[in-house]
Amino acid sequence: MKTISVTVNGSVFEEDVPERLLLVDFLRDRLALTGTHVGCTHEGVCGACTVHLDGEAVKSCMMLAVQADGHAVTTVEGLARDDRLSALQEAFARHHGLQCGYCTPGILMNMTDFLTGNPDPSEDEIRHGLIGNLCRCTGYVHIVRAVKDAARVLRENTGGAR
Amino acid sequence: MSSVEKQAGDWLGARLTRKEDLRLVTGQGRYLADLVLPGMLHALFVRSEYAHARIKSIDASEALALPGVVAVYTGADIKDSVKPMPQSVVLPNLPARYPTFWPLATDKVKFHGEPVALIVARDKYVAEDAAELVYVDYEELPVILDPERALAADSPLVHEEDGSNEIFAMTLTGGETPEGQAENAAEVEKIFQAADVVVSERFRVHRTGITPMEPRGVLCDWNDADGLTAWITTQRPHIDRLALIDILDIPGEQVRVIAPRDQGGGFGVKAPFYRENIMIAYAARALKRPVRWVESRYESLMNVGQERDQINDLEIAASKDGKLLAVRNHGLADNGVGTTGVYWGFVMPFLGAVELPNAYTWERGDVRLRVATTNKASLTPSRAFGHFPTRFALERAIDMVAHRIGMEPAELRRRNLVPSLPYTSVTNEYYDSGDFLRVWDNLLERADLPAFRAEQAAARKQGRHLGIGFACGVELSGVASELLVPMENQPGYGAATVRLDPRGKVMVFGGDAPGGQGHETTTAQVVASLFGIDPKDVVVTTGDTGTTPFGAGSIGARAGSYFVSAVANACQELQDKITRILAHDLQIEASRQHFEFKDGEVVYLGDSSKRKTFRDIVERIIMHPINMPEGEVGGLEWTAFFEAAKPMICFNADCCIVEVDVDSGNFEIRRWVTSEDVGTLINPNIVDGQMHGAIVQGLSNAMFEEFVYDEQGQQLSADFEHYKLATAADVPDIEITYAPTPCPHTPLGTRGIGEGRPSSVPGALTNAVCDALAPFGVELTELPLRPDRVWRALQAARGERR
Ligand code: FES
Ligand code: FES
Repeated sequence: MKTISVTVNGSVFEEDVPERLLLVDFLRDRLALTGTHVGCTHEGVCGACTVHLDGEAVKSCMMLAVQADGHAVTTVEGLARDDRLSALQEAFARHHGLQCGYCTPGILMNMTDFLTGNPDPSEDEIRHGLIGNLCRCTGYVHIVRAVKDAARVLRENTGGAR
Repeated sequence: MSSVEKQAGDWLGARLTRKEDLRLVTGQGRYLADLVLPGMLHALFVRSEYAHARIKSIDASEALALPGVVAVYTGADIKDSVKPMPQSVVLPNLPARYPTFWPLATDKVKFHGEPVALIVARDKYVAEDAAELVYVDYEELPVILDPERALAADSPLVHEEDGSNEIFAMTLTGGETPEGQAENAAEVEKIFQAADVVVSERFRVHRTGITPMEPRGVLCDWNDADGLTAWITTQRPHIDRLALIDILDIPGEQVRVIAPRDQGGGFGVKAPFYRENIMIAYAARALKRPVRWVESRYESLMNVGQERDQINDLEIAASKDGKLLAVRNHGLADNGVGTTGVYWGFVMPFLGAVELPNAYTWERGDVRLRVATTNKASLTPSRAFGHFPTRFALERAIDMVAHRIGMEPAELRRRNLVPSLPYTSVTNEYYDSGDFLRVWDNLLERADLPAFRAEQAAARKQGRHLGIGFACGVELSGVASELLVPMENQPGYGAATVRLDPRGKVMVFGGDAPGGQGHETTTAQVVASLFGIDPKDVVVTTGDTGTTPFGAGSIGARAGSYFVSAVANACQELQDKITRILAHDLQIEASRQHFEFKDGEVVYLGDSSKRKTFRDIVERIIMHPINMPEGEVGGLEWTAFFEAAKPMICFNADCCIVEVDVDSGNFEIRRWVTSEDVGTLINPNIVDGQMHGAIVQGLSNAMFEEFVYDEQGQQLSADFEHYKLATAADVPDIEITYAPTPCPHTPLGTRGIGEGRPSSVPGALTNAVCDALAPFGVELTELPLRPDRVWRALQAARGERR
């Protein structure tokens, strides 16, 4: 057991955890943040468990909770601010970028990070940016459109700069 | 035109944002693995390490002694208190050698991954530790992996009591009797003898399927008063409920099954009744504690989603002017072990054989199937149920005929498409309605074949190899009782309860259990159109056997065909009642056709000053049922059923354009165009999404995914590193066009769509690659289609030419 202190979606949690507890289980089972999903057997391929660690997309099934000690984690539950959906969340709904929604939280977290680094991506860049996220339902077509449109909205909101 | 159709307002056909999305994009979905009950225990299956072995003994004492472990069950522990499968509710009315089995292996293990023991622990990490401490002593047996060899008389047996590895065999043409079938076969042979052209090939499709992103799971809760409540990742909770009642001998009133509101995809994988369900229910009852099992991806890939896996020896007889005359197909499917309820593996290849003739006007056919049991996981349903391999074979063979007679493959198809419906195929499949030629011409117009041929010729001069490929597909739009009763021993009708609320809101209850298809939204659009209200005032509940009418499940594209039709029928009954009472209140002689439900009001068409808000009239009928018309009582709730007299279909056609690098065998899909008849569209966004998903699933199956077994029957593809799904970077954008014909047999003209949709994909793709390689005469007959296969075929073709 180890006591860790992790800031999750802005709140600080101090918890005793076994060393072997995965970060994804810490989030889901301890903090009841079940928006972070598990789609593969901790092999880091499907991306359903993607969260932000200090703002960067990471796969929470590939990390131990103790490794998050002292860090800030954002999950899909933390994307909307003051009950306002983020531009990406809105674009996913508008473009029907999700069907079963199982892959969606991971994709939102990954693409949020992606758009920070690449505010005006081409379709090809978006498709390559999505390699770490598997979606079984959508064929990716609407996901790509949603990301592209969210990028446009974000650029317009920041005055089209960059 | 029925009045339902007339009154259907603007919401039909609207690209409405889905009601499901707000919770799903904010992480507030509630999937099976998110459900927790107080005192819940965690279950984990210990699974067989061998493909075929006798269990000599199991020692679980160390596991049981581990702190935190509550129970360990083995086959021996449960054999006397759980009925074996098969039980009638999950037994098709098709003659077959149905294996007998218990939820845990008893004497033998029959595939790598079969459940051998169940561990129940307070913590899932402890359960994993305990699994390492269960010692099973096995005696290895010879493994049966090749379906052809499995059928040899001297083959060892998977299920010894059956006396044969042939689980199922059928001749689908020539009627019921052997004499009739032989006579038909002789007639077909005559056509082949006389034909100008015969194409005869062996087509193979590997083992692959549609793996949903959410694996399976079960949460069971038991108390002695109420019995069992089971949350199951399932497409058919009502069937699962009946199966649990029968197998565990629990009185029916004591079993409630709930499919979670949010499910991470199904695609057929969540349609069978699985042995794991039985064990979790068993453990919850034995321990009187909630028990949850969440399947790992590793288990999932070893146990479910394995389909296709057929060899089809297909022959086509044709005339040199491009008339397809007769088709002969001898199919062989590798069933795997067959121990899954409802489908038993072979039901998929059975339907695949039924659907083989596709949209063409054959004079005759001779279609036969044999299915062999092997030491692999059972085939389980995957979208394009059974006919992914048969359609690949047929669509590929049609191109080969075209190449032989020197005709444009698109033209050969067009000449042989069924020109008018209804039509009954040579395997006796009924095609109810539609316009295949219109769909086809629409595709050709969008694809612009002449422009492509010019571009292709120009590219060839520069040493570049472009190709175009076509394929089409008749798909089931829902599954009628006429087909579902023989095939699965279950009814096909749709059922829905529509309940109006005194505040003018509508609640709809359906017994099917979707997994991402957007039923909450499409159903709300249908109800909103009929009542003239806003879809946000409609709430849809699915999948709870405690609150919904019996439904056969979210299978076979039943939502757009059967379920929404039942909803429409229920709404129509309620409209009748509302307008009867409103006419009485307004003191006019009028019935439903004299009223319009629009913009939240019910308006008398004869005098629009006579109107009432929807909410007021609904509230009046539910809350103030006095001064009623003679014989009328209050309340507004109706359960309606829908069954079409005959099976219904939808139709689609695909065009694929590729560029192949003839030095490496690499190919790139440059364009994918489709044309669809989906009937009346309810929400085009959702239909688009169904098509995108299905086509990419078809591509992923055809190009990447493959379940691999080694010669010992060990599964080598139990993770996503080895079982590769297509990523966004692997697949193209998709152009969809619609050429819809409203279905005349549903109240709104809708068709069920999406289920069979992947099946025309591998044919179109492979035809495109072969078209690109036409200068080399390459004809590919096997999937998966990967650069190494293309390269080898090119090498062989070049060798022959030298
Ligand atoms: S669950 Fe973490 S990548 Fe799949
Ligand atoms: S929406 Fe179902 S897996 Fe992506």
